[in-house]
Amino acid sequence: MAKGGTQVDMATLPEFAETRIQQGLNMGADVAGTGYVPYFGPDVASLSPREQAAFQSTDAAASAFGMPTVDAGSYLPETTTMGGVTGYSSKPIMDANIEALQAQNPAQYDYLTSFTIDPVTGGQGSRMLDNQPVALEMQGQGRRGGK
Amino acid sequence: MGGSANPNMVQPTATPTNPYQGAAQGMMQAGQIYSDPSAAAANMMNPYQQQVVDATIRDVGSAAQMGLNQIGSQAQGAGAFGGSRQAIAEAEALKGFNQQALDQVSRLNQQGYQQSINNAMNAASGLQNVSNQAFNMGNTIADRQAAAGGVERQMMDQLIKAGQAQYGQFTGQPQTALNTLLGTLTGTGAPQFQGKSSSFNPGLFNYFQTLAMMPKG
Repeated sequence: MAKGGTQVDMATLPEFAETRIQQGLNMGADVAGTGYVPYFGPDVASLSPREQAAFQSTDAAASAFGMPTVDAGSYLPETTTMGGVTGYSSKPIMDANIEALQAQNPAQYDYLTSFTIDPVTGGQGSRMLDNQPVALEMQGQGRRGGK
Repeated sequence: MGGSANPNMVQPTATPTNPYQGAAQGMMQAGQIYSDPSAAAANMMNPYQQQVVDATIRDVGSAAQMGLNQIGSQAQGAGAFGGSRQAIAEAEALKGFNQQALDQVSRLNQQGYQQSINNAMNAASGLQNVSNQAFNMGNTIADRQAAAGGVERQMMDQLIKAGQAQYGQFTGQPQTALNTLLGTLTGTGAPQFQGKSSSFNPGLFNYFQTLAMMPKG
């Protein structure tokens, strides 16, 4: 290398690679804003009709001998039927907890939901990736030596 | 002698709607019989008891009549027919026959009562056995229902878990796609796109050097 000159090294990428990286980062930002997608269906299979019949038989036995009986239906939650399967769903529990969080810790609730879209309207959350502040500090660094 | 029980003694109040009710009723009735067997025995007396007693009395009466006839015949043979001695002999004979008849009737009644007590106790024991069988049959049916229903519920549960998994894959598909992309860019074996290019920015000395190298002329 000759005296008096400067050697500038610049990392370069093929266009197709840079394109995909940028698209991947953008996609990542979008995916990050999806938010939690709840499961609406049943989580645990409910008692089958034959099991209910067996329980009723147990109650019938207790009743026949004057012993107390219980109504299992009053203890278990209502079943959810979706796609032909019937069971108990945890979604009502989750909904109730979120509702309680929103009522009792509204700031925390708002903070949590600000990172994602509004699941109903699709509105952007205030803290989604595109809304995050950016202060670029590394741009043009490779040219500093030439100044 | 009557050994047959009165079939109406154990009166099923109604057709049991389930085996447990039958078991409970049977146990209760058995307990009542054990606590007061005589009450049940009264209903278990041989319905032909009176006929047997009547026949016995009739037999004793016939024997008495034969005895009186014999006394009369003997008195007639002795030329004392209608006398006081005949009257005394007939009275003694009748007394004996009456006592014999009473003894026979008492014995028959005692036998009948004892038999009815035995029948009542046997019936109570039978009720216990039938009650146990009914209870166990009900339990067996309920257990089988629970077992079969459990198999069905397990299958339903597996369907739910499979549906959950597919739903999770659907909702996670964007993330999966992103991971695939990032894996392609950064994963092992991915082409190393990063290269290096060099450029040379000449300084003032270089320009002088270049000028010096130029042909003079």
